[in-house]
Amino acid sequence: MALDFSAIPTVFPALLKGAAVTLELTLAVLVLATPGGALVALMRGAPSPALRGAVTGASWIFRGIPPLLLLFFAFFGLPLMGLTLPPLPAAILAMTAYMSFYFGEVFASGLASVPKGQWQAAAALGLPRRRVLFRIILPQTIPAALPPYISHATEILKGTALAAAVAVPELTSAAKKVFVVTFRPMEVLIVAAAIYALMDAALLILQMLGERWSARRRARS
Amino acid sequence: MPAWSVIAPYWPNLVSGFWITVQLSFWTLLLATPVALAIALIRETGPRWAALPLSLLVNAVRLLPALIVLYVVFYGLPQFGVRLKPFTAATLGLVAMGAAYMSEDMRGAIAAVPKGQLSAAAALGLPRAHAIRRILLPQALPLMVPPYMTRAIIMVKGTSLASMVSVADLTAEATRASSITYQPYVFLLIAGAFYLALNGVLALLQALAERHLRLRYRTAA
Repeated sequence: MALDFSAIPTVFPALLKGAAVTLELTLAVLVLATPGGALVALMRGAPSPALRGAVTGASWIFRGIPPLLLLFFAFFGLPLMGLTLPPLPAAILAMTAYMSFYFGEVFASGLASVPKGQWQAAAALGLPRRRVLFRIILPQTIPAALPPYISHATEILKGTALAAAVAVPELTSAAKKVFVVTFRPMEVLIVAAAIYALMDAALLILQMLGERWSARRRARS
Repeated sequence: MPAWSVIAPYWPNLVSGFWITVQLSFWTLLLATPVALAIALIRETGPRWAALPLSLLVNAVRLLPALIVLYVVFYGLPQFGVRLKPFTAATLGLVAMGAAYMSEDMRGAIAAVPKGQLSAAAALGLPRAHAIRRILLPQALPLMVPPYMTRAIIMVKGTSLASMVSVADLTAEATRASSITYQPYVFLLIAGAFYLALNGVLALLQALAERHLRLRYRTAA
């Protein structure tokens, strides 16, 4: 049986609407999980061993449980604790929770790539710790952390498909809703896959631009 | 905390779901590993005409959400007369996804062995297959183990997606039990603990494998 794309123009608006929700979800998680990851990375270097242990344990649990299960937990479990969220915020919350820990790992290894002696040297010159972090350490972690950061960002994008399981009307659930009606799953899935690939490509272009920017910056200094 | 009496009726289902998850994980890893190794070896040491289409295929699969790939196998293939049982369809989709990502991890380890060694072996008249087996792989293997196990853990968590194509795995059984009893977090927590246990076993295997390889090949670690 050959592929037949004649029904696609009719259903395309529905797929685009799903893609808009996918984009919204991806951006929301990216915006929230990035500072979340920074917080996790900083807490992993905290002086208190209890705090460090708690973060390491939480990181192990959140990265060890399937994301789908965490989504179900946010959607079905939290209402029992008195927090009932609509599907989209529940999905944002669950995905932010585990992505923060993945980003935490990325940022921690980025921080580790800067020699410790620079902290001491800057302290010896009398620079305040905060200023050292923002002006000396962080700019140097960008080249090491950028590629894994973007690859995790594409993980977020692809992970949003899981939100279909908790009734978020994103691209994958839109595709399923459509092909249940058209009876031509393959064509609809191919179009949905192409939309995902385009969004991934946009992120990869961002990475290229970011790498070029940080290389130029390094060349200038 | 609900009593054991709430959990007891569903306990056999949870155990059978866990057993399905173990089987899914086992088959996915067993089938994906040789495929991934073959892809990685061909892309790193094989002829260009074979490497190029493989790299296109791997990167295309890596751009897509796993759920879309599973939908293609489960809903899309029957359109072409290929009707698979849910378990088989899920395994096939997970193997395709897993092998693509895993081949990238393995490629990294293979690329870390200096290319000159293969040229040197060829200059000494060693057949290429022999050189790959006795010179390249023993050096690449120890480098492969940590990313391989990380990927294996990701793939075990990924098997939870099979619940979306009507496989009665651990996630499916846990969500079913929670929607019947209105006790979501008990069952989701139990399922989470099962997944953590499974991943704990894999982490243990990693430690054993690293030790074995260290002793066998006496690499500095």
